[in-house]
Amino acid sequence: MTRLDEAEADDLLAAYALDALPEADARRVEEHLRTCSEHRAVAAELRQTSSMLSLTVEDREPSPELRRRIVEAVKATPANSKPVDRGAPQAAVVALPRRFRSWRPRPARLAVAATVAIGLGISALIGYQVGLVTGRPVAYTFQGDASAAPGAEARLVYFKDRKEAVLAASGLPKLASGQVYEMWLIKNGVPVDKGISASATGDLGAKLSGDLSQFQQFAITIEPGEQQLPTTKPILIGNLQAGST
Amino acid sequence: MSGEPEDQDHHMAAQLKRGDSTALESLYDRYGGLAYGLAFRILNDRSAAEDAVQEAFLAVWRNASGFDTSRGSLRNWLLSIVRNRAIDRLRGNVRIHREVQLESAEHAPEVPDAWQAVAVDLERKQIRDGFAELPDAQRRTLELAYFGGYTHVEIASRMQVPLGTVKGRMRIGLEKMRSFLVARGVVG
Repeated sequence: MTRLDEAEADDLLAAYALDALPEADARRVEEHLRTCSEHRAVAAELRQTSSMLSLTVEDREPSPELRRRIVEAVKATPANSKPVDRGAPQAAVVALPRRFRSWRPRPARLAVAATVAIGLGISALIGYQVGLVTGRPVAYTFQGDASAAPGAEARLVYFKDRKEAVLAASGLPKLASGQVYEMWLIKNGVPVDKGISASATGDLGAKLSGDLSQFQQFAITIEPGEQQLPTTKPILIGNLQAGST
Repeated sequence: MSGEPEDQDHHMAAQLKRGDSTALESLYDRYGGLAYGLAFRILNDRSAAEDAVQEAFLAVWRNASGFDTSRGSLRNWLLSIVRNRAIDRLRGNVRIHREVQLESAEHAPEVPDAWQAVAVDLERKQIRDGFAELPDAQRRTLELAYFGGYTHVEIASRMQVPLGTVKGRMRIGLEKMRSFLVARGVVG
């Protein structure tokens, strides 16, 4: 990282205060501020003024549902549960949201073919070349929750040698505006976010990375935007210990 | 809840740290309209703005233990998260990266809180007046950065002016606004 001289840093301080610098330049400014008290004071004033721009807006009345949504989500989320690092499934165990604790995974129904995911014909999976994989894949089939997602089905094919799985789900409940499907792998009761989809069709295809042998369950929830921990009960959940090869 | 607004915010922050969900409801009742107004200003979409506000309040709930009242006000923290979430929705899929960067930056000890120097009962009209007093080009430049989430390079391209001009408008615009507010005792 090239260090900024005094003039260069001074030139960038206002944009820095407005969060209007590209990432690399912002890091260079911060590096400079660590050792330059004069610019640190200037940056603080500029930042203070810039943050006041929030107060130039008029209050607006959100829908009454927003308060209810927030209260419900808060009740389902442990306080001070700083999200786990999404890239590190081995992250510290955190307490489960109350709703999550009531999850009771149902036994996975054995699937027979490694190619079931492709068989579903979901566009996201077209072209995935199972035949090129040398390891023996493990397949799982999960059924949707009887009340939340009747008729939904998810098929997961895991390629151990790649530590990669292909998911194909169909018949999921349609999403409302702003909602997403969120996929989870669960280790010792702790859900780890494995990505989202905003599919409008109720069909879902995705590739999941990770060593599935480290996890006990797979689940899908519907969330109001991507979450670090689930805020709703799963619409589909199943065990990962009973797949077929 | 009684007492001065600032005391009430400190009280709410302490409750949040203890995991008292009623404090989050109080926080929403106090600042929900402002938070939503900010998100709507950025996103211009009811549903997306409400999603951003919900995410921000949940972020406060999840991270309250790390909040330090000596480094900033609860309102400032909340609004900074609202802005980050809203801009990230506006600008695309960069949310996680930005929120880590910006939310932690809000607690950087080098940067004093925007509202520590300001009474909690902010004279918002004066702040709006100060902003409105700026020449159009400066005000528009600040708007594109703060409410649009554009970088200075992107703003130069949009406004079809040299990058140096954008930097100058940003700096002079913020300094003018500060002078306006200092003269009226809004900031020290």
